[in-house]
Amino acid sequence: MKKVYVIASVLAVAALALSACGAATQAPANNLLDAVKQRGYLVVSTDPNYMPQSGLDTAGKRPADTKCPSDTYTTAEMQGFDVEVAKEVGTRLGVETCFATPDWDVITAGSWGGRWDISVGSMTIKPPRPDIFYFSTPYYAPTGVIGVPADSTLSSVDDLAGKAVCVATATTYLDWVNGALDLNPSDIYAKAPTGLSIVELPTDQECPQALEAGRNDFVAYVTSKTVVDSNIAAGMAVKQLGGDLFKEKDAIAIDKASTLDPTSLVAAVDKAVKDMHGDGTLSNLSKKWFGTDLTQDLVQ
Amino acid sequence: MSQLQKSQAELLYAAQQRKVRQFRTNVAISWIVILGLLIALFNGPIKLDSVFIRKNLFFIAGGVGQTFYISILSIGLAMCLALLAALGRLSTFPPFYALSTFYVSLIRGTPLYLQIFFFFLALPQLGIVLPGLFAGVLALGLNYGAYMSETFRAGISSVSKGQREAAIALGMTPQQTMQRIVLPQALRFAIPPMGNDFISMTKDSALVSATGFVHEIMWRATRVGRAEFHNLEALIIAAVFYWIMTLILTFFQSRIEARLARGDR
Repeated sequence: MKKVYVIASVLAVAALALSACGAATQAPANNLLDAVKQRGYLVVSTDPNYMPQSGLDTAGKRPADTKCPSDTYTTAEMQGFDVEVAKEVGTRLGVETCFATPDWDVITAGSWGGRWDISVGSMTIKPPRPDIFYFSTPYYAPTGVIGVPADSTLSSVDDLAGKAVCVATATTYLDWVNGALDLNPSDIYAKAPTGLSIVELPTDQECPQALEAGRNDFVAYVTSKTVVDSNIAAGMAVKQLGGDLFKEKDAIAIDKASTLDPTSLVAAVDKAVKDMHGDGTLSNLSKKWFGTDLTQDLVQ
Repeated sequence: MSQLQKSQAELLYAAQQRKVRQFRTNVAISWIVILGLLIALFNGPIKLDSVFIRKNLFFIAGGVGQTFYISILSIGLAMCLALLAALGRLSTFPPFYALSTFYVSLIRGTPLYLQIFFFFLALPQLGIVLPGLFAGVLALGLNYGAYMSETFRAGISSVSKGQREAAIALGMTPQQTMQRIVLPQALRFAIPPMGNDFISMTKDSALVSATGFVHEIMWRATRVGRAEFHNLEALIIAAVFYWIMTLILTFFQSRIEARLARGDR
């Protein structure tokens, strides 16, 4: 009887070891771009609950011939603006695009450890991120706004003074609420009222979803205008309070702490984004998902 | 044979059997009533969105394979560690004893949730980057190994001293005694509790969804539930899957238990 357990546990440990080492059997590439091209797929981090930028398509069928690792999703299983931008970048690099789903604050912390290659997740270029990441040319520039329940009696941003607001962790919206938004001053249109208390949730969509669930821990939420517009379009009982608060430039991020040299991948991705601006791909995707073109005037 | 010709013993036995059968029938009827009430509840006052359920049932079901995979790998690791820790606890060699008591105390003294995050989030700062599945299995295996070491220790201790004495009398070394005489008998007593641990591990595997990389039942249910604001339906589906898994495993568990206890009757 004991032999069975010895064999079973050896097999278990072996299976574990193999599942981790499975990829390391080719001659190793010496930079990230070559590694990506060699394995034939690009791993992109994404938030699976951030429509209209990114979400799961549960009706999508995973193609049988996919190269994507089993803990990632294929493009068929995802939908959204960021997802389609990432897919287009992968196509232009000549590889398949796969999506990994770590938490947003793990993505923004950097030091990804090679678990995924790039972040196409509406990451704003703001300090201290340029110290941690290489950024591509921005691929779109949404604005931040405030959403409130449709029956709210608040009429302007200043009415929020002293109240509780919901924001997602590690976002520019949290920085704005804290009065610590470090963007170009010409892109900031309104200052946060004083005395705000903050309810911090893991992702942006969880704020309106909490309101919908009847939670009253907060009276407003600060997020991207694309999110508030999608909430209204989805029939949630919310409305926008006031106008745009600030404009942020969102770009593709690559970890500077990557063990393989990422600079060639950064250059290739940047070229792909510039080409997508030039041939109208990004404009069309923006109009498709947001109803308006948020990609103008971003190429320097 | 008429009633009068049946012996007293037979009549008593028949009466006992009747009572047992009546009890079982009444329990079954009560179960059916409870289930019926639940079904009525979800068809009447609480409306579940059947469109959402039909759309996402298959997606959430896809997590069952991952849950099993995690649990099987973890229980394998846990069994190895539990055996080593149990042998350490029974050892007369101080470093071995100290190491195993330290391991058991540390792991039992920290939450499983913390351990999962530790292997996934903290180790990268030391340069060790584990995939989400790896980190989850390691945490679950270490955690359950610590708890199961007590079971193993009890099993090993329960093998009577006479067995060990006989082995020495036959000229076996301590290693041979452990390997050939003690462990096979100890494992017979340790397997039923381990079966229960495996079942409970399939539920604790839900915590591995915290890494974000393991797309098992709970991760899938919370993602689609949140995204479409149908958390009630999504979590009920997940609960039903876990429940059915547990029922099936418990059934096999009791069969194994009955089989192993055969020698004792």
